[in-house]
Amino acid sequence: MTPVRHQAVGRETVEREASTSAHAAPNVAFEPATSTDLYAPGLLDARLGRSPQDTIEAAIVLEAWDGRAAGEAIASAGALVNRNGSPVLTRGHFEADDELERNSVVGEALALVLSILSVAAWASPLSIRFGAHPLAQAIRVSLPVAIAVQWMLRSRYLSRRHGLSLLARDAIPLSALMLLIDLPLICTVSWGPLAALMITIWAAGTILTRRGWGLVYAAVLAGGTVALRDLGDPYLPLSALACITTLLCAAALLTRRTGTDERSGGVSRALLAGTLGGGLGLLLVADPSLGWGVRGSYPALALLPAVLGSFWGGYHLWDLYEAIPRGLRGVPLDHASRVGLGDPAMRVFAGAVARLITTATVLSAALLLLPGSWIGGTDAVSVFMAFGAVSLTSMVVSLMESLSLQRVALIGLATALATEAAVQYLAHWRIPGAALAAGASAGLILTVPPMLGLLARSGRVLATTMWIR
Amino acid sequence: MLTYTDSTAPRPQTRLRRHEKGILMITEGTYPYAVGGVSSWCDAIISGTPGTSWDILAIVAGHKRLRPKFTLPPNARIARPVELWAEAIPLSSQPGVHGDGHSIPARLLRGLVPWRGDQANLTAALVNCRRRPHAVRREFRSRASWQEYLTTLAAVLAEPDRHSAPAPLYDALEAARLYQTLYWVAQTAAVTTPECSLLHATAAGWSVIPAIVHKELFGTPLLLTEHGVYLREAYLASIRQLSQWPARRHMSTRLALGLTRAAYAAADAVAPVTEANAAWERSLGVEPARITVIPNGISADALPTAPPAAQRVIALGRIDPLKDVQTMLLVADAVTRWLPAARFEYWGPVSAGEDAYAELCVRTHAQLGLGDRFRFMGATSDPETVIRSGDLVLLTSISEGMPMTLLEAMAQGRPVVATSVGGVPGVVQGCGLLAAPGDVQGLAAAIVMLLRSPALAAQLGRRGYERLLRRYTLERCVASYQSLITELIGR
Repeated sequence: MTPVRHQAVGRETVEREASTSAHAAPNVAFEPATSTDLYAPGLLDARLGRSPQDTIEAAIVLEAWDGRAAGEAIASAGALVNRNGSPVLTRGHFEADDELERNSVVGEALALVLSILSVAAWASPLSIRFGAHPLAQAIRVSLPVAIAVQWMLRSRYLSRRHGLSLLARDAIPLSALMLLIDLPLICTVSWGPLAALMITIWAAGTILTRRGWGLVYAAVLAGGTVALRDLGDPYLPLSALACITTLLCAAALLTRRTGTDERSGGVSRALLAGTLGGGLGLLLVADPSLGWGVRGSYPALALLPAVLGSFWGGYHLWDLYEAIPRGLRGVPLDHASRVGLGDPAMRVFAGAVARLITTATVLSAALLLLPGSWIGGTDAVSVFMAFGAVSLTSMVVSLMESLSLQRVALIGLATALATEAAVQYLAHWRIPGAALAAGASAGLILTVPPMLGLLARSGRVLATTMWIR
Repeated sequence: MLTYTDSTAPRPQTRLRRHEKGILMITEGTYPYAVGGVSSWCDAIISGTPGTSWDILAIVAGHKRLRPKFTLPPNARIARPVELWAEAIPLSSQPGVHGDGHSIPARLLRGLVPWRGDQANLTAALVNCRRRPHAVRREFRSRASWQEYLTTLAAVLAEPDRHSAPAPLYDALEAARLYQTLYWVAQTAAVTTPECSLLHATAAGWSVIPAIVHKELFGTPLLLTEHGVYLREAYLASIRQLSQWPARRHMSTRLALGLTRAAYAAADAVAPVTEANAAWERSLGVEPARITVIPNGISADALPTAPPAAQRVIALGRIDPLKDVQTMLLVADAVTRWLPAARFEYWGPVSAGEDAYAELCVRTHAQLGLGDRFRFMGATSDPETVIRSGDLVLLTSISEGMPMTLLEAMAQGRPVVATSVGGVPGVVQGCGLLAAPGDVQGLAAAIVMLLRSPALAAQLGRRGYERLLRRYTLERCVASYQSLITELIGR
């Protein structure tokens, strides 16, 4: 899943020239040195190291460093500009943003992987305690909601340099929001408390991994998993997990509070991101043939290859934000809008897709070939394929969101969900994951062609999409 | 005991007229969100005209939480600021009708980037942005606009002009960068401005963009105050920072030239703070009849105190390349070799975006081994006390209009050692010592002279105080503005 990158648009740091302010001016105190016209070209060359760009530049040098009056400087500057010569094609300067945002991507992917693994490990004891159907219902609600919360947090806070400080600033309203999400679940359905606990635990993982406490989070989950298997009542370890992760979040925020002036992301943008994240989660769980509450780790473990593939592909997509500007350096204006299938944007996107597909395929094959009964359930290849399609859809949707193409992403996702529902209820296919695969494919058909059309024109995508958000 | 002329004559009371609509002051990177000379001037003008209501439209760089650094007077209120480079997510865009068949990016390019841009077309394009704000983002994200922009840019760059060398050929990256900048010009033009009886822009740059639009729509007169010559400072910055990137330099200076020309063309009155600025404005085509020099002023409520004779040199100002702190460090090194007991204090924050320059200054400080002979003291909200603690005030800027620091020094009866830039020589006549910008030895010699001659320093300080009372009081400055404002509104 490709996280949203907060692009500090137009903020490239200009390299500063080393300032050597020890001037070799004549040692005449209290009055500027006089000069003649013979002196002017030498002065310009000394100050600029080149010919003046225009009469104003020449005049300013004469006025600032030779003490001439403005009118006199402008009058004499005309003769100092070289109007002949051919224009030179320049290479633009680009300096990349810092690496902080990449770390948050890695952290978030780690949190997602750990969440999936915890679902895989918890499935058995929770099925025994609650029954397969209530567990499946709880997961079908908690997973999309948790992913929606993760995307919202990332969009508004965690993709920024001081994201944890910004989040700490809004800790109270955010806590109220979480209560607003959890309380209706707790009060309305029997599996509600289970769903609420899982939402809390998974959402906390995003914050903790952003803080750099991913391993701590994993250790806590592992401890919770052991307790789930050993203790009779699963509510005890789950509640303890929720409390511990919440306290850890509080500690994470408190220890990273700074008086930053940085601003949080927009609320509307965060809500859109949350909608997209939640939609992807819904796409994932809405296919009843997947049976999230079955005994054993299937299909939860089956999701792992696709998740890791999506993570690696999404990580590679970060290069887009540097590869495109760098690739446009030295490209003449008449080529700035050309279609280039070999352009940096296309290469990076193709590389990301290739990484996702390769990783998902190799790991899926490995899982399928694993001996033993611990994976349990069916060994349907269709399930792995469906998850792979969803991961690809997720990566494309995430990229669209980061490029402010939310409308297209929403349309693609809505179409995917509608197709999934149609296949479920109209086609009655008995192939596990068929509806999910169909839905994800429909989403890809709507989103990939416009994405390719955009990325094939690096100049246009930089100017009109990446830098105009 | 030093004595000073005691101004016992009653200061003229300025009766201010209450206008039905207020005055819209448009600032750029200054008041009320940053401290500095221009911000202090803005605050003084607003506070000094309690009978006038002011709306403040601040143009700032986005991505930061904005916290006013000033307590607003009761007659002022802040309009929603224009945040450049900020995130924006318009959720809907209304369909609209194109203006003259050309897209906004191409029209802005034609108006701003050529040596002499099409002013009428530029104004029309900016007004179009205001009338169709939702179309701005849509147009800039459209393929057709980008394509037309590229064609227009190639044509503009190829146009010969007798005032300039052949323009560098932009590559696609720089073209995209200029495109992005024009987008923010368009967004600035699209902001809604409150009703007002007068527009008051505090720089001939981005702050005139909404003013030009408002004037075109409502006929409101526009007053432009120039503390420093915007165009000149843009060129100086490009010489310092962008010399190795011809296209960036060309882009930066051409935009500044375009905005300045637009500002000068639209302004009904131009009020530079110093005659040196006026000279530039006349040279750039502003008719002398439209120029009214109004020097800055400052309140001198308390009598100045005697210098402490502590061999302490005070500098006040942002840490900014224009202040040439590097030269100041070299001066401190030279002075303290002659006078080991001398101490330098630099009071002021780092300018936004100049962290790299501040780090360079710190490295230079370490390389020179200055230690506590020169200390960076950070920002201060009480410059008067800081100046009183010193024996003289030092200014090493390479570009200035009429720095408030000079007036603050004169108000405290402290002599000034400064570089002869901008309006500084005109202010410091007879109450300080001048040297050429970058003249380390000249500046150091002047400082040593004053520190070794307390009597001379006191005499210069006293003369500075008297000169301030004669020419640079806040009341005089406010009265001049009030007169000009009344004249403009009455036209």
